[in-house]
Amino acid sequence: MHKTAVIAAALIATAAAQAEEPENYIKYRQAMMSAIGGHTGAAGQIVRGKVSPEGALAMHANALATLNTDIGSLFPEGSDFGETRAKEEIWSDRAAFDKAAGDAKTATAAFAAAVAAGDEEKIGAAYRDVGESCKTCHKQFRQKKN
Amino acid sequence: MTPWPLLILLAGSAAAYADDGEYLFHAAGCLACHTAKDGAPLAGGRPFETPYGTFYAPNISPDRKTGIGTWSRREFIDALKHGTAPDGSAYYPVFPYPSYRLMTNTDAGKIFDYLQTRTARSQTNREHDTPWWLFRWMMKLWQWWALDEPAPAQTNQELERGRYLVDALGHCGECHTPRNWLGASIRTRYLAGTDLGPEDEKVPNITPERADGIGKWDADDLAYFLETGQLPDGDYTGSLMADVVDNTTSKLRVADRQAMVSYLRAVEAFPGP
Repeated sequence: MHKTAVIAAALIATAAAQAEEPENYIKYRQAMMSAIGGHTGAAGQIVRGKVSPEGALAMHANALATLNTDIGSLFPEGSDFGETRAKEEIWSDRAAFDKAAGDAKTATAAFAAAVAAGDEEKIGAAYRDVGESCKTCHKQFRQKKN
Repeated sequence: MTPWPLLILLAGSAAAYADDGEYLFHAAGCLACHTAKDGAPLAGGRPFETPYGTFYAPNISPDRKTGIGTWSRREFIDALKHGTAPDGSAYYPVFPYPSYRLMTNTDAGKIFDYLQTRTARSQTNREHDTPWWLFRWMMKLWQWWALDEPAPAQTNQELERGRYLVDALGHCGECHTPRNWLGASIRTRYLAGTDLGPEDEKVPNITPERADGIGKWDADDLAYFLETGQLPDGDYTGSLMADVVDNTTSKLRVADRQAMVSYLRAVEAFPGP
């Protein structure tokens, strides 16, 4: 009985390890980036005064802060080949990448705080900072479309 | 004798866009190309890989030995607008004089004056890395052959301002208009995008074509993109266009971005590449 459990546990562990092949992170992080882009775009429609759905801005801002907590973990070692636009500098210049990821975390947390405080002016400025962190990181670490 | 209302009108239209040299310098996007990655501003050295070899942007800081410190205003205007170097030779059109030729002499002169106020950087220009069959003298022929009629002037004042910002200063067509096999812009594909852009990048169609151009973008989205780099789906550009947003379009006045948007939405729609 114990032996069966050990073997079962080993099999599960192997399956889990296989599921976590680094390249599997490519699809995961692309989906995560789409989620971040989705909330950013949606929040932008509200910040720019195009729509004003009740309470939605807090939802988007909090989601952005949560999604940006640890961007670095989406780019584990070995996930640099396959269908990805991630540049090799993410891994070869990790300190710079971690800084860019940290900026996104700081900017989205500040945006969520500004939304929670309800200060219109700060919300606008904080939203811009979020965008600036996206653009700066894409410029440095995302390959162009070709 | 000129009737006085006409004089007032002329003075008025010139004054409306009396931009200073710094503003024009940003609008013409000089900095990004003439600065190498992590290099000194305006000292040159940034490489441009093209089908005709790799070209290195020259030093345009006012250093007297390696930059343009000894140039006259006239020499600068000839370089910027006619692609003619002070020694009379012709520049390769990787330098966007086919666009800058549409600039007024006044504006070109102001950019010169502004550049002369920048910090001089001593950095010798790097030789271009061109194929064996390509020579500078050929560029004289190229200039004579390739520089045809530009996009027509607009009668509407805002659209005309937009055309000036897009064509003469922003030189958008240098990347967004496809080129023929000899490197000349294809007039009948104005701003329609290309798969063979700089650094092997796809360059999008920015005509008002609905399928793959900007026909479905509203004017606000377009202006916001030029200001911040945000695409309508919430993504942010990271391509060479991010440099353009950072150095040029984000630094323009709201009314000027608006004029660019109005013009881009008014040009002829072409399907993309």
